[in-house]
Amino acid sequence: MNEQPISQQDRRRRRGLIIFQILMYGYLLMMFVIQMYMYSQRDW
Amino acid sequence: MSKSISMGARTALDDHHDLSRQAQWQADKWMIGGSVFMGTAILGLIGLPLFMYGLMLQVRAQKIGLSVRPIIVTLIGYLVIIDAALNSFGWSLDMIANHTLLARVFLQGWGNLFDAGYYWHYNELWIGGATAPGEKAWEIALLPIVFCMRMAAGIAFLQMKRWGHQWLVVTCWFGVVIWIGYVANMTIFADVRYSGVVFPVVGWWLYDIFYITPFLAIPYLHTVNREIFSD
Amino acid sequence: MSKSSNDHLALGTTAAYAGMHKWLQRGLFVCLTALVLEGALTFPLIALWYGWPTLSLQEICAEFEKHRFSDDSRECIYPYPLFAKAEGAGQKTAQDAWGVQPKPLYKRIEFRDFVKRRDERLARRAADKQAAGQAPVADLSSPVQ
Repeated sequence: MNEQPISQQDRRRRRGLIIFQILMYGYLLMMFVIQMYMYSQRDW
Repeated sequence: MSKSISMGARTALDDHHDLSRQAQWQADKWMIGGSVFMGTAILGLIGLPLFMYGLMLQVRAQKIGLSVRPIIVTLIGYLVIIDAALNSFGWSLDMIANHTLLARVFLQGWGNLFDAGYYWHYNELWIGGATAPGEKAWEIALLPIVFCMRMAAGIAFLQMKRWGHQWLVVTCWFGVVIWIGYVANMTIFADVRYSGVVFPVVGWWLYDIFYITPFLAIPYLHTVNREIFSD
Repeated sequence: MSKSSNDHLALGTTAAYAGMHKWLQRGLFVCLTALVLEGALTFPLIALWYGWPTLSLQEICAEFEKHRFSDDSRECIYPYPLFAKAEGAGQKTAQDAWGVQPKPLYKRIEFRDFVKRRDERLARRAADKQAAGQAPVADLSSPVQ
């Protein structure tokens, strides 16, 4: 099996992809919260 | 690892290739059938067991040592196709079949439950269908272009083609743009989209959050060893 | 530091990303199942919510017309002629609060509300017809007492 430690490039790539996930779900969560706030303020 | 160069002789490797390809095709037959049913939405419950059976055949082949596609490649490929098919189904109804009884009852029904963009003044535009600001534009941009491309890329990806992998990367990043733009549009015109709706906000989010296939595919596509995809 | 020999990596997956790929696979399964269930259950649930089988699909369509455009005289034309104008084109009865953020003024439709609305409308029409029908009859019949 592969015994080499994780390379720098792989480390950076993994961090970049995790940041991408956080940003995407963060954006969706933010939009959801904005919509819920609007729901609470307006007569829907 | 080279194949035998003499014309008549078959090596164990050739046999292994053939058996593996056969096993993969056996599994794929069930999964394709299942996906076709699942892509129609209404017949989805017939499709899921068919698909899972095919997946089980593939796992079994893998366990006995045959060279089949990685499970996650199979999952991503088929899910991308099903996701695109479901979206296309709904939006084709809205773009082209918006005056059929089916579309009028079920799209408006869905609209009144979750997203009034598909209910408010429905079928009043000259092209008919959804009237929410910007909605038709999204349909025209996405349906014939992005979802078609995504299905093609998904199929090639399942065939382990290099261009399939590349184009799936491209179309999944399109998916990021779609999600950001579409949700922003809904939020800005939220009064139209959610007034008079039975399950405002939470209903739409609970329903549509499962279309985040691109967000799950992107990390895999960027971290898989690309050598496994060939011409 | 070394991976146990039990961890066989999938084709294309290196050790660095094995954990990530495992969780992605689980997420993908969840999405697949949810999408299939949603797709399959949406149609029957929508039909039930709006009054099927008490109301036929065409009656539900007609109720949508009346509710959406706030006009009880609208009907659902079925089958709709292929190249005719959009069915709502030129309508003037819909109630909205207009502005840069338009807001519809119709009320939400609760579970099987359409059945109630249709029954009430039919009762009203029957009552109206009866009232209109009784007026001339009352003139003719001379009160006995």
